[in-house]
Amino acid sequence: MATITVNGVKREVQVPGDTPLLYVLRNELELIGPQFGCGLAQCGACSVLIDGKEVRSCITSLSDVAPNQGITTLEGLPARWAKQQGLSAEEAKTTLHPVQQAWIEEQTPQCGFCQNGMIIKATELLESNPHPTIGQIKEAFTTSGVSPNLCRCGTYTAIIEAVQYAATIMAKGR
Amino acid sequence: MATMSEKPGNIFGATLTRRQFVKTGGVLVVGFSLVGTELLKGDTPKAATMKNSLDPSLPSSWIEIHTDNTILIRTGKTDFGQGSIFTAYRQIVADELGVPFEAITTVVTGDTDRTPDGSGAFDFLGRGTPNIRKVAAYTYQALLDLASERLGVAKDKLSVKDGIVSGGGKSISYGDLVKGQQLKLTIPVKGDLTSIMGLTVEGDPPMKPVSQYSVIGKSFPNSIIASKVAAKETWATDVRPPGMLHARVVHPKTLGSTLVSAGQLDKTKFPNSQVIVKGNLVGVIAPTEWEAIQAAQQVATGTKWTEWKGLPGSAKLYEYLRKEADWTTTSVTKSEATKGNVEPALASSQKKLAATYQLSYMKHAPIGPTMAVADVKLDGTVHIYTHNQNPQELRGEIAMMLRTTPDHVVVHSYPGPGHYGRSNGGNAGAEDEAVILSQAVGKPVRVQWMRADDIQWSTQSAAAFSDVQLAIDEKGKIVAYQVDHYMPPMQDDRPIGAVIAGLPTMPAPDVHNDFITSTVIGISDPWVYAPVPNVMERGHGTFQVGQKASPLAVGLRDHSMRTPVQFQQNFPRELAISEAAALAGADALQFRIDHANEERAIGVLKAVREASGWDTRPSPRPDAVSTGSTLRGRGVSLMFRNGTYWAFVCQIAVTPSTGAIVVEKCTMAVDPGIVMNPAQLKRQVEGGVVMGISNALLEEVTFDESGITQDDWISYPILTMADIPEIKVVLLNNPKIGTYGGGSEAANALAAPAIAAALHDATGKVLRRLPLKPAYVQALLKA
Repeated sequence: MATITVNGVKREVQVPGDTPLLYVLRNELELIGPQFGCGLAQCGACSVLIDGKEVRSCITSLSDVAPNQGITTLEGLPARWAKQQGLSAEEAKTTLHPVQQAWIEEQTPQCGFCQNGMIIKATELLESNPHPTIGQIKEAFTTSGVSPNLCRCGTYTAIIEAVQYAATIMAKGR
Repeated sequence: MATMSEKPGNIFGATLTRRQFVKTGGVLVVGFSLVGTELLKGDTPKAATMKNSLDPSLPSSWIEIHTDNTILIRTGKTDFGQGSIFTAYRQIVADELGVPFEAITTVVTGDTDRTPDGSGAFDFLGRGTPNIRKVAAYTYQALLDLASERLGVAKDKLSVKDGIVSGGGKSISYGDLVKGQQLKLTIPVKGDLTSIMGLTVEGDPPMKPVSQYSVIGKSFPNSIIASKVAAKETWATDVRPPGMLHARVVHPKTLGSTLVSAGQLDKTKFPNSQVIVKGNLVGVIAPTEWEAIQAAQQVATGTKWTEWKGLPGSAKLYEYLRKEADWTTTSVTKSEATKGNVEPALASSQKKLAATYQLSYMKHAPIGPTMAVADVKLDGTVHIYTHNQNPQELRGEIAMMLRTTPDHVVVHSYPGPGHYGRSNGGNAGAEDEAVILSQAVGKPVRVQWMRADDIQWSTQSAAAFSDVQLAIDEKGKIVAYQVDHYMPPMQDDRPIGAVIAGLPTMPAPDVHNDFITSTVIGISDPWVYAPVPNVMERGHGTFQVGQKASPLAVGLRDHSMRTPVQFQQNFPRELAISEAAALAGADALQFRIDHANEERAIGVLKAVREASGWDTRPSPRPDAVSTGSTLRGRGVSLMFRNGTYWAFVCQIAVTPSTGAIVVEKCTMAVDPGIVMNPAQLKRQVEGGVVMGISNALLEEVTFDESGITQDDWISYPILTMADIPEIKVVLLNNPKIGTYGGGSEAANALAAPAIAAALHDATGKVLRRLPLKPAYVQALLKA
């Protein structure tokens, strides 16, 4: 049995410690934001934030995550934003993370299968760099992680525009 | 796939007339589908309705108008990211019915027991008349009939706005109109539900004139995006029926290996796993996904296969295709553009081009490997939960595999990764394997392919080569153009698990099959240079490489991928046209205008010229060299597909020392006739351009004599964000055309010939081979 902290909640899971976090999240905890894309940390579809850093859950073993480390999945982004902004519980329920809002506003996804990782990567970027240039956005999605975040539908242009739009929402705060 | 002709309605024969439409009145309920087929009257051609299917002749199988004025629509098509079902289909129905976009609150897609018409996730706009449009038009007429009766006002004195029928000083909403009422309407349909094309709505109902469109043309958002982004959507990958087991499949060692013996499972390590063998199919099943993965790896190491070497290897591919492939058994096709007599013109002209163009095998490469959950019940009913471009065809294929009838099979559709054509023939890979394994263990089984399975065991876009000859006259005009296109067939719809297991499937592509899976190669790239006096375009077909030699009948299986066949035929043509312009000493864009007479073709070329800031001059550029630091060039391409004209311009930078090409800027001009949804079309075009650049620069399936040698995103790379250009999209709304053309997939085909022309412009050298990989570019420039 292992304890992990996911989206602000301590969760106990009864699976072998070498189980990749991706399968723990999807199959044990029913958190379906992260997707299985390659299992090789080559695409980014499975990304989650661990203490604010984008991590590939497909190659991260359960036993590699300490109980007090904070895992945030796509599902947890609204609460993450609400906490950062000090929103009330009521407000938090009806709020999406600005990155999610921007993704909808810019109609970014096509099939959307990679977009979990894109949104996680955008959140990581904007939390450390609130006003990234296009060059910095490209760098973040291509060379900052263990591999580029890949999109087969070719939505990179829409992602860049959505990151820029999310930056303006985040700058305004709540 | 042989040819997707530009001629509408030529697949299922004649359409019904307006008179027949009036004559085919039956009695049916809209809103609450309680009336069965026994009430249908008249001689309407209609499909037989089977168990677990909707009756397609009932209007409520397509469109439900509810008493609260909300509307539900159903389509057998599934969404793969284009969003057309959630945007365009709502817009089309809204305009035909005279209701706001928002009134259509529910869209049911793809489930074979909950949607009426089948067919695939392609050609969503149906050359301007998708099934749902005709049904809406029929329903509108029936609603007017009902309102006329109710209000006591002649039908031609009625008008509709926002779902309210008014006339003679009276009015009534659609919701009130359908309360407990019946519509005098049956929907005439024709076709085979579980075939690739599904059912087609027949007849000729009066349609809304374009001048009355108020919803079409506006940028409504795609509703499924919000639920996906908020993690509120159930994807196929999320489906977990009670008692479900996880499985992985150990695929054969080569594309022709048969099973000698399956590896023994180490029960001490994997006490809850089991191995299932069916023919040459080896499945490993476990209660948890991680155990299934590990146990499958362990079983794979002990599994013995026969050796097989029946492929030419990618290094010798074009030599094999040219010299060894059988091009004589399959009949040769000629295009409708063929005219005049090319030979004398080719013989007598001074300026000539004779060249061969080669295109690699490419993977569809969905970002998520294929997966499916199957639940074979004790009574023989099969439920499949998956993400598939043609659920009804899958239903037929699974029924055939199990030697049962399609009414025993239900396919439930969920979102998933884009397939780009790979599953438009009903399977992507895992569906049939899940069924076989579920049947073996009597429980729901989830088969998830790993990345290597998805690259090595899926179908690919076929390789091709084309021989072009053209001649320029003394006025600098093309006087003769001849092309011979050679490629294996593009539509192997056999489910691979069934093939490996030795279970029944449709036949492999052959000369004798129907046109969809035939080895016959038609001309799919409509000729757009009508003033050329002598034209000869021929298509040559052969068998899939390695298939006949494979004891499994597998080999390199091919399947249509975005702009299938036309992609492979447009690249040689458009690069050759750019080369012809260079031969004539003419500007490549103006040269195209000078060889076109279709107003819309000229329109997109002029639009792309203006928007891209194209400077008119011949290619190669005056200072073109093949050495030095960074060289720049530009190129142009043109295409007509599914009612839409496309023109593309790009600027590239090439580094001779490495051979690397970077596309720096590009512009696409699109004239689809009526622009359905500008914002969505812009996004689709941007995506297509990126995929097209990826295809052009990077994508090539490599294989040895036994199978595909790539197995991940490192060995089969696709374009990353760092490598995308600035993309400008120019949408030319052209309502006078009166209809809307296809809007997304074609965008990917324009990049390759324009980039290759830009390389020529920059360096004076032509690489007539895709992809334009650094190693090939480097070799070209050094030569």
